[in-house]
Amino acid sequence: MKLQTINHILELKDVSFRYPDGSVGLDHCSLSIKRGSRTTLLGANGAGKTTLFLHLNGILRPESGTVVSGGIPLGYSRQGLNTLRSRVGLVFQNPDSQLFSASVREDVSFGPVNLGLEPQTVRERVEEALKSVGMTDCADKPVHNLSYGQKKRVCIAGVLAMRPEVMILDEPMAGLDVAMQAELTMILDRFHAEGMTIIIASHDMDFAYQWSDSIAVMVKGGCKATWDVKSIPDVLEQLAAHGLGIPKVAEIHQFLISNGFPDKEGPSPRSHQDLMRKLAAVLTCRT
Amino acid sequence: MLIEHSAYANRWRRVSPAAKGIFTLCGFVGTFAAATPAAALSVAAVLCAVTVLGAGIPPERYLRVAAPALLFLTVSCLSLAVSLRIGNTVEDLSLQLARTEFHRVVQVCGRSLGGLAALLFLAMTTPLTDIIALLRRLRAPEVLLDIMILCYRTLFVFSEAVRDTITAQSARLGYATVRLSLRSLGGLVANITVQVWQRSHALHVAAMARNNDGPLRFLEKTSPKSTRDICIAAGGGIVLIALALVIS
Repeated sequence: MKLQTINHILELKDVSFRYPDGSVGLDHCSLSIKRGSRTTLLGANGAGKTTLFLHLNGILRPESGTVVSGGIPLGYSRQGLNTLRSRVGLVFQNPDSQLFSASVREDVSFGPVNLGLEPQTVRERVEEALKSVGMTDCADKPVHNLSYGQKKRVCIAGVLAMRPEVMILDEPMAGLDVAMQAELTMILDRFHAEGMTIIIASHDMDFAYQWSDSIAVMVKGGCKATWDVKSIPDVLEQLAAHGLGIPKVAEIHQFLISNGFPDKEGPSPRSHQDLMRKLAAVLTCRT
Repeated sequence: MLIEHSAYANRWRRVSPAAKGIFTLCGFVGTFAAATPAAALSVAAVLCAVTVLGAGIPPERYLRVAAPALLFLTVSCLSLAVSLRIGNTVEDLSLQLARTEFHRVVQVCGRSLGGLAALLFLAMTTPLTDIIALLRRLRAPEVLLDIMILCYRTLFVFSEAVRDTITAQSARLGYATVRLSLRSLGGLVANITVQVWQRSHALHVAAMARNNDGPLRFLEKTSPKSTRDICIAAGGGIVLIALALVIS
């Protein structure tokens, strides 16, 4: 039991929260995030995804229930919150809500400076973070002259410069074109390969199925279910019941199998490229 | 936007902001040390030439930026030079150009032009982020700097929001008639007011998420050629002051 707790870098235990206007933010929500995992939080607009993220970063405090970080219930003292926020970075959906300074380099330095680091250390971290998201060339540009996608990257660099163990991204793909989505996915994959735990909120079931290690579903403030992504093909009906759709690749794959497609072994395809490879292999065998 | 564009696209963009600040300060000192209008106008002309020829600011853009201030200055000087004289009857109402005041007006005008040229030199060659960083090094009050940072950043966010809202209103004939324009303008103001409140809250939350608990602090900029730039600027500034004193 203790080992399992340590393996979970963040946990919400029966957390409830109401906004001052009485609307429900979270309703007895429980969720566990494994260290080093990629988790996608799926839910309709207003399901409580952002509220949950604000709890994980200590911005909001639960009315009831507990937020656990690294096996220890979260303390809301200034020191406790500083420690949490240096470990758990939060990238907001709208970059204009996150970027303070009109200078890219200055804005990225905001978090590390708040951590009280030495100027030289801050400088190194800023350069490293900008390089990591491919924004070194834009470091001296004013923020208002950047594209939406570039602003998102600066936001990620601003959090990355704090070197968090967990990066939370609220709807990171919203407003990005296909090429920028692919670039951002590569950046996130690199962070994950380096051992970072990544949690994102999304509406895109296909992306969640392709990219994540686990998928959590939120409905009306409640964390309804969490599945390991490998088990998704077995729970398509349950997934559909939450009204968020099902992964198209999984649906087509199931259809093919039910119509005699000889692919009952091996992992289920998680992207259309995986599915095409399987189809090509079968067609090659037949010819 | 013209100032903004010039500040990021001029030959002296990489010159140390401290050096440009020193030259601006010398420009002010020279302007106020000038005892005659000719001296003040000479300082203004040199500052203007340095901005246009040295920093490479296009003259048309310089004039467009200076135009509102020049208009204001013209109106102010005219109102100083011309006085309204009221006699016993309505027929005695007359405008009078006071000869004794004329010299003072030209002096004020010359100094104002010098001050304007000095300010434009700094504003059109130095991005505001650099000026804020310079003020921070000069230990300007943090509250003032925070307000400057947020105002400067949100200026662009809200100008975009205003543009989007006007476009959306225009697309639905929001400005087709005077009455509709007034109504749309009211809607625009209401919408932006709400957005200001929402976005300020969002920025506060974003600041907390990155461990902020007070003043907005950033990494101070460094300029590798700072000392050399400062020496050159100080030399130029001394020449400018000397010019003002010699011509006086």
